[in-house]
Amino acid sequence: MFEQLVDGVFWNIALIVFFVGVIWRLITVLVLRSKRIDYSVARNSGVSGAVMANIRGFYPRKEVSARIRLQVIAGYMFHLGLFVLLFFAAPHVKFIAQHITGFTYMTIPYWGFIVASEIAFAGLILLWVHRVLNPVTRLISKRSDHIGTILVFVVMLTGCMALGEASSELRVLHRFSVELLMVYFPFSALMHAFMFIPSRAFTGAFLGRRGVNV
Amino acid sequence: MSTPLERGVDMLKSQVDARVESYFSSCTHCGVCAEACLFYTETDDPRYTPIYKTEPLRKVWQQNFTLWGKLSSSLGLSKPITENDLSDWETLVYDGCSMCSRCTMVCPVGIDIAYLIRKVKEGMAAAGFVPEGLQGASQRALKFGSPMGLTTKGLLTAVGQQKKEHDIDIPVDVVGAEYLLMLSSNEVVLYTEFLTAISKIFSAAGISWTVSSKHFEATNTGVQMGDSVIAAQLLERLLEVASELKIKTVISPECGHAYTTFRWDGPNILGRELPFNVVHIMELLDQLRQDGKLKTTGSFDERLTYHDPCNISRRGGVLEQPRNLLNLVAPNFVEMNDNKEMNWCCGGGGGVSSNERAEPLRLQVFNVKKRQLDELDVTTMVTACSNCRTMLEEGLEENEMDVEVVSITELIADHLA
Amino acid sequence: MTGIKDKKSARMRKAVYCCVLSLLFVLVAPLIPYVIDAHAEDVTSSKANKPVALQHPGINLWNDVRQRNEVTQGSSQVIGVDSGILINKTGEDWRRFRMQMLMPYGAYFMAATITTIVLFFLLRGKLRLPGGRSGELLCRFSLNQRTAHWFAVGVFWLLGITGLILLYGRFVLIPLLGADGFSITASACKEMHNLIGPLFLLAVLALLVLYIKDNFFNRDDITWITKGGGMFGGHVSAGRFNAGEKTWFWLVMIFGFLLCITGLVLDFSVFGQGREIMALSHVIHGISALILITVSFGHIYLGTIGVEGTLEGMTTGYVDASWAKSHHDFWYEEMSATVEEQQGIKKDVASSSTKPASSPAGD
Repeated sequence: MFEQLVDGVFWNIALIVFFVGVIWRLITVLVLRSKRIDYSVARNSGVSGAVMANIRGFYPRKEVSARIRLQVIAGYMFHLGLFVLLFFAAPHVKFIAQHITGFTYMTIPYWGFIVASEIAFAGLILLWVHRVLNPVTRLISKRSDHIGTILVFVVMLTGCMALGEASSELRVLHRFSVELLMVYFPFSALMHAFMFIPSRAFTGAFLGRRGVNV
Repeated sequence: MSTPLERGVDMLKSQVDARVESYFSSCTHCGVCAEACLFYTETDDPRYTPIYKTEPLRKVWQQNFTLWGKLSSSLGLSKPITENDLSDWETLVYDGCSMCSRCTMVCPVGIDIAYLIRKVKEGMAAAGFVPEGLQGASQRALKFGSPMGLTTKGLLTAVGQQKKEHDIDIPVDVVGAEYLLMLSSNEVVLYTEFLTAISKIFSAAGISWTVSSKHFEATNTGVQMGDSVIAAQLLERLLEVASELKIKTVISPECGHAYTTFRWDGPNILGRELPFNVVHIMELLDQLRQDGKLKTTGSFDERLTYHDPCNISRRGGVLEQPRNLLNLVAPNFVEMNDNKEMNWCCGGGGGVSSNERAEPLRLQVFNVKKRQLDELDVTTMVTACSNCRTMLEEGLEENEMDVEVVSITELIADHLA
Repeated sequence: MTGIKDKKSARMRKAVYCCVLSLLFVLVAPLIPYVIDAHAEDVTSSKANKPVALQHPGINLWNDVRQRNEVTQGSSQVIGVDSGILINKTGEDWRRFRMQMLMPYGAYFMAATITTIVLFFLLRGKLRLPGGRSGELLCRFSLNQRTAHWFAVGVFWLLGITGLILLYGRFVLIPLLGADGFSITASACKEMHNLIGPLFLLAVLALLVLYIKDNFFNRDDITWITKGGGMFGGHVSAGRFNAGEKTWFWLVMIFGFLLCITGLVLDFSVFGQGREIMALSHVIHGISALILITVSFGHIYLGTIGVEGTLEGMTTGYVDASWAKSHHDFWYEEMSATVEEQQGIKKDVASSSTKPASSPAGD
């Protein structure tokens, strides 16, 4: 019964909430509220600033890199690991092809999947431990940051539990936790996965117009 | 009649735009901004984390513009902002932030935190939570024309005195002049050498320029306290004077926020394009250098460094011009370790300098500048903002450091061919 | 009416009897094999006097296959490590060790430790700070040190719990979840244990690098040990880490690395390691794990409810000066001497300036 719900109704709801939610929020930013025109005379192109800022944002400025080493290293471990295992692990590629896109693409070997998961786990645990321990992040973190972290952790853990593909219960558990995450996603700080692009672009355009090295 | 709190909250609501939406939606509270903020690095107090200073705006956004926020506030689950919150945050945004925007440069998701803090200040100003020092300054600016209470008469006296002492020409209220030079009160009262220096350089270059006796003040306390209404009022005065004198280009003096206000923020505060060009004095001098109209002789041989005023370099994009000018006359010019768009603030930007209450904190965060200078072992520090200059001088004196602060314009004027 | 009530109460009584009986059964059932075994031994011993006249015709063949007391390599079409061995004699030794030594003695060891700690706590109570808090704070652990510690804690317990379920789960979880349920749990735990495992190497390496500096033994440690670490009264001097903490550090290092090496041998069986090496690794892995888990009970006790003011050193990074004076006086003196340079001492920011009067945060 539960298995059928998870594979059927719940999955469809999660898929709709996720896509509609994410698109709706991006539209909110990109179309509905972007009426503002800058009346000042630009020094350089804002568009190139926006593009540059999106690229530049991927590596830390040397002036602060020594102070944020842990966030940068653990952050990259988590995000790259998760990206690889989410989009290139054979079971996921197969699932995405079956349920969403309809086509398969390159997959990484099993050991690559395992290594990516380990790196992602290490990164996520480190980031969360750091969030709780660093007085700064402890003060500024919101409930949604913790819920998001825990949900992602649960998804990864149930995925890991289901690695043996020994029982359908574990697969259902993994899939159910993914559905929870998808429903929570558009309304939480997890939206940064998409929002960082317009956010960097706005600031990059702003600084680019003024001729500041982005 | 709405309460001050309601006015503040309404103002904060009206501040939410696409940028605010994308910024708050992408913040993961990673804490990287704190590591770029001198108020955090020098105090170790996590409340000075830049993004934390934007809490009032984030809260208003969260409760009124997000699904969960609307849901939980309609169910009474999330507490609305109180006057206590605003009064706590008043010290954070006015005393503990110099709007230097160094945090903006390091944010991994590209949040312009200074932009958000500027908006928080709008809410604070609407609710009446502005430090006394700034309130007084803005009242004086509206009443007398300058935040220091300097009147036209004071300006004319100073101009007369300089003319007599140095045998120079300072044109006042010349209709049809190409350039209108604005001044910060500092430059009229404290650093009178500046006016002399400009006059020497301009007459050598053969420039048609003037100052206005009606409205000379370049600084804008409205911007500092975050009140767009006051900011617009002060800007309108400039527009009026410029059109009366048929000015083509307005020169921003050595003042950081005056430059960003005229050049970048002003048109947006007014909601229209300005009928004249705006250049910073550094830009103009560098242009004169390129055109061959600025010729220097001799050199300043002391070891010196350049302090980038945040509003001119990081927020204004005037990065190379002061360096080109320094290279003309200063062979022993050395850069500080963090410079240009990653410079460290003097601690007095964003109205902190007008806020007496913030002085102990401001002197504490000056430590970062002290460390930068200690590494270099220089005798002279050059800057292009008279507010930075005052703040640097005070910090150096407090730390008993033997470093002289001079303005680039003066340094160039001393070496005119 | 009364009839129905009687029926109900009779049913109730039956249910209670059933419960009691099944409880008894659960308690007694594990003993049944012992009784049968004992009986079986009697049978064999009574028959042992009578020589067996007839040999099974296949006995030589099976002796060869089983290779008696040595493992010999045969040949097989199957390509792979140990594929030439039909029956692995040492596997039985390993199984016996796991079932008859590791599991019971490990359980006794853990239970005894917990009992000792509980008794100690009941007798001695929480060690309070003499003279209360001073309000002066000393930086004990840097953010990196704390992050490494809690990362290690997280990984250690993810592995500890899954490992303990794999070792002892059958006794506790089969009655609760049933055989099918336990098989799912065991599979999940095995996968988690295997995947998270390598992270422990990262954790141990981080601990090694970040904590080794003050963890070398010196002469003061002997005094500390002879005085029983001050747990039974009296003051003992210590540097940044006392002999107990240093011992724990080196236990973590030794058994931690043993766990990692043996764990990797077990986890990645693609480097030609055969059954014997795997069995040996498993033995070392199990012993090391049980030692670390057991000693960690003591570590946790002393770090939390055992000694007042210790935990905050690992959570906030700062400890109260009177805690430092009372437990690590040499370190306190060292810190006080270098305070000017390192700014090691600061005022209690947590209670004075750090907290905003009211926070609009928290949604």
